[in-house]
Amino acid sequence: MRQDVVMPPLGEDAGNECTVSFWQCEVGDRINEDDPLAEMTTDKAIFEVPSPFAGKLVQIVAGENAVVKVGDKIAVIETDE
Amino acid sequence: MKASHTRLPPWLKKRLPRGGRMNKVRDLLDGLDVHTVCQSARCPNLCECFERGTATFMILGDVCTRNCRFCAVGGGEPAPPAADEPGRVAEAARRLGLSYVVITSVTRDDLRDGGAAHFAAAVRQVRAATGAQVEVLTPDFLGDPAAIDAVLEAEPTVYNHNVETVPRLYHKVRPGAQYARSLRLIERVARAGTALPKSGLMVGLGEADDEVYSVIDDLVAAGCRMLTIGQYLQPTRGHLAVERFVRPELFDIYREEGLRRGMRWIASGPFVRSSYCAEAAFASASTT
Repeated sequence: MRQDVVMPPLGEDAGNECTVSFWQCEVGDRINEDDPLAEMTTDKAIFEVPSPFAGKLVQIVAGENAVVKVGDKIAVIETDE
Repeated sequence: MKASHTRLPPWLKKRLPRGGRMNKVRDLLDGLDVHTVCQSARCPNLCECFERGTATFMILGDVCTRNCRFCAVGGGEPAPPAADEPGRVAEAARRLGLSYVVITSVTRDDLRDGGAAHFAAAVRQVRAATGAQVEVLTPDFLGDPAAIDAVLEAEPTVYNHNVETVPRLYHKVRPGAQYARSLRLIERVARAGTALPKSGLMVGLGEADDEVYSVIDDLVAAGCRMLTIGQYLQPTRGHLAVERFVRPELFDIYREEGLRRGMRWIASGPFVRSSYCAEAAFASASTT
């Protein structure tokens, strides 16, 4: 099943933006739940986004240097179920 | 679209939690119209603390009468303190199941007692509702001894007042505050002997290491026993720029040097904030 990965809350003000620094995996990679997917940067910190699902990374929606908001779709994972 | 965020060093990295407790904490606080410094100051530890079910309450509203150049809390003309606010904070602490509660506030130079009576009410009501130990982090109350004593009479476990920066940078970082006044406040708390005196310092604002050590000496002389040292991070581009990112190894040296100079407990690290892991800090300091 294809599942969207959305930008989780950063804990700063809702709707806050962050910038995708880099992806720690590539399309086609097998991902375990909680594996680090990407690093996002705000003014105050670098945040590592863990994978909410296990499966195969099939699409990166927000590429490096893209600006994303909390709740935005950033990737798609084909899960095992 | 590209953003030009400040280039951050690799050690300023945090892992976002996956759990869902954070939103529940946020909803609970919003539902009771309770402010936290975590949200108002855009703290980078917020996810981690909310996920653990802890928060630092901010009372006396969310509008500050000072204009400190490092702080994201909004300024302006505040409304009179809400009489039911201590009760709402107590209810939030009860629903969160907290056994250790930290209460801070905006600075209210517009109020005759600086909001001290309100502070004391919050301490008493939180303790009555939860049985928790309460740590306060107060403004300087313009140095008014009666205001400081009013808070002490509510018997907080820890009394924190942050010196924030080295004296040379006060005019730039904390306009309206005075280094000596803040030290006198800590000294008064130490002399009273009922609460453990604590303070906090930010680095990265242009201070030299020697100045950090002088502040530690001054705090020890004032009777302060607990200290937090953390990296200043610019909340928005309208605030003071970061002058340097202190490496984790230097934070360790600050800690060792501070303990050698007589401080009983120090947390020193890039993401350390004055109430970060406050319960564990108190547990550690009170058994040392």
